[in-house]
Amino acid sequence: MEKILSKEKLREWVGKLDGCEVHAPAFADSVWNYAPVQTGGDIDLSHTNTVGSVKAFAFPQREVFFRFEQAKGGAPVLTATVPEPRPTVVFGVRPCDGRGMPRNDKVFSAEFKDPYYWARREKLTLVGLACNEPHSPNCFCQSVGGSPHSEEGLDVLMTDLGDRYHVKAITPKGAEAMERAGDAFNEAGAADQAEVERVHAESRQQPQRPIGDLAAIPEAIKQNFDSPVWAEMAQHCIGCGICTFLCPTCHCFDINDEATGANKGERVRTWDNCQFPDFTMHTSGHNPRHDLGARLRQRVSHKFLYFVENHKTQQCTGCGRCISECPVGIDIVAVLERVGQS
Amino acid sequence: MVKVEDIQQCAAGLLEKGQVKSVLGFRRGTAGAMAEPCTITEAAEAGTLVWDPTCLNNLALYLVKDRKQQAASKTPDIRPIGIVAKGCDSRAVAVLLQENYFKREEVFVIGVSCEGTGVIDPKKVATLLKGRSPSRVEFDGADGFKLTLRGGEMQVPAREILADRCLECRAASPALNDVVFGEPSGERGYATPFHAAKEALGASETERWAAWEHHFDRCLRCFACRSVCPMCYCPECVVDSTSFVIEPQTSAEEKANRIKWCERSPNTSESAVYHLTRAIHLAGRCVDCGECERVCPVNIPLRLLNTMLEMEAFEMFHYQAGHDLSQASLLSSFRDEDPNSFIR
Amino acid sequence: MMDNIYLPQVGRIAGIEEETQGARAIKTFKVEFPNGDGFEHACGQCAMLSIFGRGESMISIASSPLVKDYKQFSIMKMGRVTTAFHDAQVGDLIGIRGPYGNHFPMADWKGKDLVFIGGGVGLAPIWPVIQTAVAQSSHYGKITVFYGARTSRDIMYKADFERLRGLADVQLSVDAPEQGWQGYTGFVPANLMDKAPSPDNAIAITCGPPIMIKFVIQNLQKLGFADEQIYTTIENKMKCGIGKCGRCNVGKDYVCVKGPVYSWAELKTLPQEY
Repeated sequence: MEKILSKEKLREWVGKLDGCEVHAPAFADSVWNYAPVQTGGDIDLSHTNTVGSVKAFAFPQREVFFRFEQAKGGAPVLTATVPEPRPTVVFGVRPCDGRGMPRNDKVFSAEFKDPYYWARREKLTLVGLACNEPHSPNCFCQSVGGSPHSEEGLDVLMTDLGDRYHVKAITPKGAEAMERAGDAFNEAGAADQAEVERVHAESRQQPQRPIGDLAAIPEAIKQNFDSPVWAEMAQHCIGCGICTFLCPTCHCFDINDEATGANKGERVRTWDNCQFPDFTMHTSGHNPRHDLGARLRQRVSHKFLYFVENHKTQQCTGCGRCISECPVGIDIVAVLERVGQS
Repeated sequence: MVKVEDIQQCAAGLLEKGQVKSVLGFRRGTAGAMAEPCTITEAAEAGTLVWDPTCLNNLALYLVKDRKQQAASKTPDIRPIGIVAKGCDSRAVAVLLQENYFKREEVFVIGVSCEGTGVIDPKKVATLLKGRSPSRVEFDGADGFKLTLRGGEMQVPAREILADRCLECRAASPALNDVVFGEPSGERGYATPFHAAKEALGASETERWAAWEHHFDRCLRCFACRSVCPMCYCPECVVDSTSFVIEPQTSAEEKANRIKWCERSPNTSESAVYHLTRAIHLAGRCVDCGECERVCPVNIPLRLLNTMLEMEAFEMFHYQAGHDLSQASLLSSFRDEDPNSFIR
Repeated sequence: MMDNIYLPQVGRIAGIEEETQGARAIKTFKVEFPNGDGFEHACGQCAMLSIFGRGESMISIASSPLVKDYKQFSIMKMGRVTTAFHDAQVGDLIGIRGPYGNHFPMADWKGKDLVFIGGGVGLAPIWPVIQTAVAQSSHYGKITVFYGARTSRDIMYKADFERLRGLADVQLSVDAPEQGWQGYTGFVPANLMDKAPSPDNAIAITCGPPIMIKFVIQNLQKLGFADEQIYTTIENKMKCGIGKCGRCNVGKDYVCVKGPVYSWAELKTLPQEY
């Protein structure tokens, strides 16, 4: 299903999504981030990319697995807290973030299905917005097999045509969201189709960061496991969590028991990060990845070697957040280039 | 006007003569307009050093990092270390010296005066450009910056995108230095010291708490603010649950009974404990380099927390962290005339 | 509703045996399933044990799958969770989920001699294999068990070893002998060389401190064991146990899913990240 939506009717579409939680990018505190949209509220789709990725809608930073209560010597009472969210529609998802979701789906499905992730994921409808121009100097979606108008992982893809949007349903879930406001849409004519194709083709010509031969990267990483390159590239790394927390595909987490009162508490999942020192540290103090070089190697290898070996695709969609937001200029594209040369 | 060639020649000379084994400076990065930190060990590399309003980092952090790496004896000894330092950065070096983190002869301060301007605040630029980033930022005369964007250039008055710490800077020229480039200049006249803190205090307590709850609620607990702070050098941070030090002799009981001052969950309450405890641990030590606030990916105004405490230190004890190396540090000294109503 | 993989079953501590004392004391726990649920496991697999309020830890299942009434875990006192286990009493109710990980390919070992080489608490992961092998001794050839500890007081499963002597060739060693010590004095790899078991139609299974494993493998190779004849287990920090939380990987393998059991032929192809 392909339709045309005039820009002033976007609000009408959102208004028809009653019963759903609607989120869209908003510029607040000097950053773009997803924020809930009030019924009948306006949506500003002039955003670059949100600082936080769309993964948080299925994999929030904090998820309570269950509550427990146990008096000393008594029986534990466990109450699972699998979420039962309302249907949630997210507008303005950039195609790089869209492509992140099927990769996360693989992680949370493989061998053991994660009920918390899927309870949220199944209720999630992603309305994407094609990037007519790169939103940062560090975009490289095309270098990792994506495109500024990739449909992968999205339920709907919108393309800005100036005074109107071209809106395409990618999945039945997406079509359903569009049908809610059938009247707001017009049929897309041949001229509209031609215009979309022109805009998409033009967006593919925009400058992006190149990473060379994608197929050669896994072997290059493998050959460089013991190379000093990693320590060299991580020399100024401060070991914070920015690169992974903002990444649309980083999924590592921690599980802890947190007290909520005497004899009771919650078992909680929180995001974790391979750049933190205690991430892999054994209780004995032994740490298999004991320095920043080893941790940078893990981050890059996970995305461009291990994930490829396990799932036949890169675990990076080229959004460029880890590069743009790094406080000290660590640049995964430059790291790949350097590793490729060694 | 500071000439980058002067910095480059200085660094090359120091390395050539063996006065230092390495120089911490800035180079052009690959990631966009902002300069990035670099460590050079050869005079031939000095040509890569840059100086412009995107030299944001406080490189004193890497003096601390070097000591830690040396303690773990993983890297070759690169001391003495030359360090390119702005006014605020040199204050950080001074505090670290006061606290005996390293010795004076181990560091050579290549001071650079900000000469009445300073560095930009990328978040202000983001606000100006609604999230877009320039490909280049340059000084443009005494009171402005030139931004290069996709499809054009843009002149911006300095005060619009200068970092708040620069607007309020009290000592733009490094007091602690072995050599200094640029004209000495003190207060800027853009904003009075502690302007932002005083303005924030204009709001009621309820309003202020609501604002901070909003900010703490957004915190991702990526610990970038702590990790980037040269003063946060504790091997084990009481409020950062990710940095536990375990020695072979650490007993199971010690590990088991370690107090978690704040849980891993990024709740408003836990994040409040994290930020407030950190701020208090920096009282009388924060040099207002603003790095904590700069690196925050969600732009929590962390500098306000720290400057509020520095304002108290200044108003109550006339103390300014890192301004005077001969001064005893605030928390380790006592004078008869100090206000001590809290004891009586 | 789909199965909630993070929600543990309730286990009851039915017995506690003090194995060794000292700073890194070891206790063995028998865990029953009072609610009648439970799970089957294979030799080498692990389970996530938890004390509510303290957290979870991945522990090898030290009892044979042939034992259906309970599962046994030998836990060294190391950190938050294991200390809580050491403070626990018989009758306490705990959390348990599993089984996790791969297992020793015992079905492939029919008719072969089995040489076990254990050190310290590293005996626990291979103990179910030893127990299963001697219980089904007609399936296997000669069974030899090398085990070493610092002193005779540090030897685990002392009572079981006495029973084992009649069923297998038991070769105990200590690093620091007391008066009256009857067994070998010296490190485990040296004892292995001293007794020199034949590699012909044999499988060697080793687990212990990393430094011991390293020299045991070197010595096995000197004795003529091929890489495919040598098995060991590895460990890494784990949180989820199901290949998602991302910390226990060695190269592309999550040890919690693809491990902990590896032949040396497999393990030597993986990076040194454990």
